[in-house]
Amino acid sequence: MIQLSNVRKEFGRRVAVNDLSLAVPSGEIFGLLGHNGAGKSTAIGMMLGQVWPTAGAVRVCGHDVTRHRARALQKVGAIFESPAFYDYLSGWRNLEILSTYTAPTSPQRIREVLDWVGLSQREHSPVRTYSHGMRARLALAQALLPHPELLILDEPGEGLDPEGIHEIRQTVLRLHRELGLTILLSSHLLSEVEQLCTRIAVLHNGRRVFQGRLEETRRRNHWVRLQVSDFAAAVRVLENAGSISNHREGERIALCPGVETDEVVRRLVAADIAVFEIAREADSLESFYLSLMSDYRGEKGAASEPEA
Amino acid sequence: MFYLHLRNELWKLFGKKRTYIGFAMFLLAQNAMLLAFRFTKWQSDLERMLQGNGYLAEEFISALTVAVIMLVPQILLLMPLYTTLVGGDMVAKEAEDGTLRMILSRPVSRFRLLLVKWLAGAIFAVTLVLVLGAMALLFARIWFPWKGMFVFAPGHAFAILGADEGWQRYLLAHVFMAVNATTMLSLAFMFSCCNMKPAAATILALSYLFVNLVLEAIPFFDRFEVWLLPYHFRCWLHVFNSPVPWVDVLQSQIVLVAANLTVFIIGATIFQMRDIKS
Repeated sequence: MIQLSNVRKEFGRRVAVNDLSLAVPSGEIFGLLGHNGAGKSTAIGMMLGQVWPTAGAVRVCGHDVTRHRARALQKVGAIFESPAFYDYLSGWRNLEILSTYTAPTSPQRIREVLDWVGLSQREHSPVRTYSHGMRARLALAQALLPHPELLILDEPGEGLDPEGIHEIRQTVLRLHRELGLTILLSSHLLSEVEQLCTRIAVLHNGRRVFQGRLEETRRRNHWVRLQVSDFAAAVRVLENAGSISNHREGERIALCPGVETDEVVRRLVAADIAVFEIAREADSLESFYLSLMSDYRGEKGAASEPEA
Repeated sequence: MFYLHLRNELWKLFGKKRTYIGFAMFLLAQNAMLLAFRFTKWQSDLERMLQGNGYLAEEFISALTVAVIMLVPQILLLMPLYTTLVGGDMVAKEAEDGTLRMILSRPVSRFRLLLVKWLAGAIFAVTLVLVLGAMALLFARIWFPWKGMFVFAPGHAFAILGADEGWQRYLLAHVFMAVNATTMLSLAFMFSCCNMKPAAATILALSYLFVNLVLEAIPFFDRFEVWLLPYHFRCWLHVFNSPVPWVDVLQSQIVLVAANLTVFIIGATIFQMRDIKS
């Protein structure tokens, strides 16, 4: 549904996106993760033809966005953080205005979508009188009007209270289940992404550092919590045996590929180190994400050492 | 679709309160000028000038004469302010508010969007001129009779016309004033297409017009005055002369239309190339 191939974007001297390749398959809820300034919004801007790539190709719904923007965006709806509307006009008039930029829309269709998002009582009030949650619903309505097949959500939970976030989560699931939409979700809320997405990509300083199914993030988690009589000695033993690749916080070790916990216990007991507790880390997206970011920050630090 | 997009822009433009600031200020200015003309020496000075040239003052102190007297300073001072205010808002305000990003997530071409925006702006400019002219005549008619017309603009027009002919020339002058207003709006519109605040676009356009006026006032630039916009803006006054200097008027109109086209193309090119980010 979305295909980015070796995309690069420079703003003056700053490289916002660097050699980014990304594939969002049809029918998925795809999460786009990354720190502030990682390049998520720039990548979304390029998907919507709002930001021109310096190099590379961006294809949406089978069409090159740079060359055939109108065809590429015909079946796309988008919602941005803090959705903006013409506050002095009514919700209904805003929907009329925004929908005609895709295709003429019947009043019946507008009514249908307003009912779907639960905004049918206030559609003729000026948008300036709407609450944050109502604005979020209006944003969803405008995105749904052109019968989209792809929905791009850029930080949709930003600024919402827990109830609003819950509502957005339920709505995304409903959109996927009832309308069969492909959804690209960019968010800082890792728990939301974990509950919603089937596939994710992680960006770091404009580069993609991970892309895969959500289950893979769990499989890749190799940290083990270890409580022993002497952690430093245990690390020495395990490093000499080639069983661990890393350790942190005086109680966590990273197992090398193919190494299981029983082998660790055997080696420690053989070295006369008492083992009180050993357990694999809880498989959360947050721990995966933090570990990934820590690895890349470490890599960057290591890379910058010779220069220093 | 084109009609629907234009309708959208008109809804947006005329739904905003600030669009009407110009209309309200013209209303106030006209009534203030009318009172000043009626109750100060202004009217007696004009009567003296007419009598000094051998005309019966009471035949030419009319609604048409007073309407044109009111129009001259308003076209020079207020019109640029309110047209550039709206022109500077048209793209830059939407970019600032974030609604431009909402629109450009849809399959509408940037050129089409800009064209309908400019057309809506031009409709505003024409409406502003027509309302200004109609209000000037309406208010003047309340105080003064419908008689002959006297127009005096030093260096540009000195005309004594009958009521019918004066009315026709008055209407004709509005066509050229509408072109002036559209050109001022287009200038601000071009700046509005750049990545800047709406106020900056308005100030840049006003500054450009002001610099033109200053240059025009310097004797050295007399020979270059045809290159300056205010010279062509004044062609609306020439239509009161008899015979009408059609060649000069036409030349000025061509220059103004070309200026409109040029700034639109520059604005569209900038807008096409720029990145739209939150």
